[in-house]
Amino acid sequence: MTGKVIIEITDLFKIYKGSDEPAIKGISLDIFQGEIFGLLGPNGAGKTTTISILCGLFHPSRGNARIDGMDIRSNRDDIKKIIGVVPQDVALYPTLTAWENLTFFGNMYGLRGNRLRKKIAEGFAVFGLEKHADKKIINCSGGIKRRINLIAGLLHDPKVIFLDEPTVGIDVQSRVVILEYLKELNRKGTTVIYTSHYMEEAEKLCTRVAIIDRGTVISIGNPRELLAEHPEFKDLENIFLHLTGKDLRD
Amino acid sequence: MFRFFSACRKETLILVRDLAGLIILFIMPMIMVVILALVQEQGWNSITKDPSIPVLLVDEDQDTLGAKIEDGLRNSNIFRICKTLDGKKLTREITKEKVGKGDYNIGVIIPKGSTTIIRHKVQVMVTQIVSGIMMPVDNPFLDIQSNDSINILIYFDPGIKGTFKYAFMATMKEYSMFIESSMIFSSLNTELKRMFPQYKPPKMNYKETVYFSEIFPAGKDELAIPSTTQHNVPAWALFAMFFIVIPMSSSMIKEREEGSMIRMFTLPVSYLTIFMAKVSVYAVVCVIQFILMMLAGRYLLPLARIAPLTIGSNYLGIFIMMVISSMAALGFAIAVGTIARTHQQAAAFGSVSVVVLTALGGLWVPVYLMPQVMRNIATWSPLNWAHVGFIDLFLRQATIIDIFPQLAKLLIFFAVTISVALFYRRVNSPLNN
Repeated sequence: MTGKVIIEITDLFKIYKGSDEPAIKGISLDIFQGEIFGLLGPNGAGKTTTISILCGLFHPSRGNARIDGMDIRSNRDDIKKIIGVVPQDVALYPTLTAWENLTFFGNMYGLRGNRLRKKIAEGFAVFGLEKHADKKIINCSGGIKRRINLIAGLLHDPKVIFLDEPTVGIDVQSRVVILEYLKELNRKGTTVIYTSHYMEEAEKLCTRVAIIDRGTVISIGNPRELLAEHPEFKDLENIFLHLTGKDLRD
Repeated sequence: MFRFFSACRKETLILVRDLAGLIILFIMPMIMVVILALVQEQGWNSITKDPSIPVLLVDEDQDTLGAKIEDGLRNSNIFRICKTLDGKKLTREITKEKVGKGDYNIGVIIPKGSTTIIRHKVQVMVTQIVSGIMMPVDNPFLDIQSNDSINILIYFDPGIKGTFKYAFMATMKEYSMFIESSMIFSSLNTELKRMFPQYKPPKMNYKETVYFSEIFPAGKDELAIPSTTQHNVPAWALFAMFFIVIPMSSSMIKEREEGSMIRMFTLPVSYLTIFMAKVSVYAVVCVIQFILMMLAGRYLLPLARIAPLTIGSNYLGIFIMMVISSMAALGFAIAVGTIARTHQQAAAFGSVSVVVLTALGGLWVPVYLMPQVMRNIATWSPLNWAHVGFIDLFLRQATIIDIFPQLAKLLIFFAVTISVALFYRRVNSPLNN
């Protein structure tokens, strides 16, 4: 893969306060504009930590990263304007309706008026949520919450989207809609960085994947290239198990 | 700026959606102010229309003194006289036992012959006066001595408040003085009539000539008589206002737990904007809550025959004081909400600290009734500053300049608590994890 590097990660290292073991140990990788990049790894591998650092939630203990040429340490506020974040947990206000939640988050991205209303309506239409617009989040099913959670991070047409396990705990129908939408966004030029435990999903969706384990990148490449490198395995899941082992993780 | 208004709208919607919580925020403090004013009215002010404090009375005298004391206590409208219990006439022993056990607070024993002793003393005194007029030189009556004294026994329950005990003693002394004066007046008349048959005593009872009116100028057109209402209503309103620490800190912790705060940190908006929106919305809640409690003091308490609240005429000053007091309460709430990690921590620390600040601030017991050490400590409680400010506005016709020291202290408290919260957040930010 070649093209403009939109995310450049250099020797990223993170050790949490009070922890003996680093969460990530010197991760370095480039993500190109227009990619759907998958960060794969078992629990505690360092996927969420990496994404959180890139989104500006944590400072790295060492190393650095640049997003669209901007340093994550010194340009945090500017970076926030061009990225969209879909957290692992549903991060919405339970007593507000879907529409009210999205209006609020849209406003925080600087959107308002007709433009915002149009964006929210589009999101509802894509995800089949029109009839749930006035429903309080607390009364919505897990799948609906996930879809609204996703729309909240995409309202401002970000250049780069970070999705932390966006399809966890939802039905097949919702998963298909979400993945199709991500592909559609990617076709329009949006770079998608995504973590998942679903290898089959990553294999179908991602242009490249990085397999992370115990804080380091152990393999990186196009899913087809990885399969070619390991002809003894028929799918990404088996390569993943081969590389990360079968031991249970915390 | 529209981000700020959008955040305010979000906070308002969250508050309004929790209708039960909102009712609790507004109605419970009103109920509290009415109930506490009712309870404390008698305890502090001892001005009540219903005779309610039972006094065991053993009148062994069965003459004027006993009758007058009984009338006096009965007419005071504070005490209910009990001369029998379970159909049996009270004795010294029963009275001592009942008060000793705490079944009754006060017992009064008027010894036998009390009136006779007074009469004798008065007689001697009047005789000496009259004989002094008739025999200015070598008056043998001047050598007569009357050393008899009366010892009225008053039993007090050891649990009774000291202030109440002194008030009762003062009342009893007042009655006995009045009775003695009346007897002197009556006896003097009798003696004069005996000496001067043509003398016609005036057909009137001895009446006090010195009266005391408690008047406090509050506004241009109204006079406020100091009452427990004037102390209690602003005191409990401030207590409720500072209790905003519970819903406010709970809302902050909830945002952290629900994950919405994490999303906020990824948005291109400053934390201060979100922070100030929360403060603004909750400040409006505090002000509405305070106004409702003032209205309760003004219009509900009189329905319970308690003096209405008088608020003076400096409405702008009152509004400013309300806003600044709310800010102080919210600053405290934000500090607690930022530092506490769980709802339990916030609720336990928040409620106990508000109770302590209330007690220290002289909102339960007025500062002037506290020992000197506590009076000094009271001057460090933000609730005391706010309370003093409101009392000055309500009762002392204070101007904004007059309450400036209180306003300044409350603003400094707000600035300090907000700074503590921001500093704590900076140090413990996930960024530094």
